[in-house]
Amino acid sequence: MKIEARRRLVALAGSLLALGATAAALAHHSFAMFDSDHQVKLSGTVKHFQWTNPHVYIEMDGRNVKDEKAAEQHYTIECASPGILTRIGWKFNMVKPGDTITVIIAPLRTGEPGGLLKQITLSDGRQFLNGGPAGKPNIE
Amino acid sequence: MEKNTRGLRARALAICAVLASFVIGPFVSGPMAHAASPTPDPRTAMTGSWNRYPEIDEKPRPGFPPPAPIPAPPLKAQYKTEWEARRKAVADAEAAGKPLYSNYTACLPDGMPAMMMGMFPMEVLQTPGQVTIIQEAYNQVRRIYMGASLPPIEDAEPLYWGHSTGKWEGNTLVVETIGIKEDVRFRDTPHSNQMRISERLRLLSADMMEDEVTVTDPVYLEAPWKWRWVYKRMPGYRMLEYVCESNREYRDESGAARMRIGK
Repeated sequence: MKIEARRRLVALAGSLLALGATAAALAHHSFAMFDSDHQVKLSGTVKHFQWTNPHVYIEMDGRNVKDEKAAEQHYTIECASPGILTRIGWKFNMVKPGDTITVIIAPLRTGEPGGLLKQITLSDGRQFLNGGPAGKPNIE
Repeated sequence: MEKNTRGLRARALAICAVLASFVIGPFVSGPMAHAASPTPDPRTAMTGSWNRYPEIDEKPRPGFPPPAPIPAPPLKAQYKTEWEARRKAVADAEAAGKPLYSNYTACLPDGMPAMMMGMFPMEVLQTPGQVTIIQEAYNQVRRIYMGASLPPIEDAEPLYWGHSTGKWEGNTLVVETIGIKEDVRFRDTPHSNQMRISERLRLLSADMMEDEVTVTDPVYLEAPWKWRWVYKRMPGYRMLEYVCESNREYRDESGAARMRIGK
């Protein structure tokens, strides 16, 4: 009963906040610096996971899985805030250096190796989005 | 003896009821429960966690129409041109993929009245003589002192959340705020030290609350600037801490917000 109650609460809080976070993240800074129309899928190894406000960051060495000629390089991936992510089920210790992950990102328009997270697949197969403001992936 | 037993039984029942309300609370506070339950006493029932309503893509609840979009500030003609130019610059920068850097991007809190938009969850605490409102984003706190007198305008130190006094008019919490820093601008709107933010907070039901905001400023505004925000209760939600501690966004030479790459 208690566990079920907690689960319902978490689900409720999650669904409320997944929807509602848009303006919040937009308020810290606009996402216009990222190109959501040309999303990229990367696979690689986590080098560093920064769980802080105003944004969470993943530093990874990875390569574009849809481009056979793509070389591995270092990427900086911006995620939403710890609050937004907590409310959709993330945990502060969910990603660790050495983990193999696959991410879909909206790359930086400047061409620098980084982007805004759209979706992450962890080594155990679990998938998470990046909250309402970041938007959903448009590639598989 | 008989009396004592009855007293004990009554007390035990009361304790059970309190305990039960903690366990069952989250279940009975859904929309189904609201229809039946009368609006509770706002002098205590505004306490709790609240979220903006409706959220992005949220279907409005029956009986609670979403607030209208906030109108443009009724600036006097001589200030309007500059404001419009600033808004256009912001929009153009967005369209070009080079969003402008702002106070908020620099990890400064948005202050009043912006913090009441409920970007992130918000907590209201009602204690004797004081209503405290905490906005999760940037750990913002405003304190409304009930029945207090505001300082004269010239003595009101400019602050992010200003100086607030509150009083009850029936079931409406009426709040007056002055003393907002001039660079704390809601929607890029300039203001003088004579700006006053008047708010009328009331419960629309057990779990819905509204804030009617009226901003006046005899220097910049030619008419009161009015809008309405609506909030919904977040049963059982515990506020998170928020320290803007590792900001990677920076302002480049063009004034655009950029993200620093690499650890």
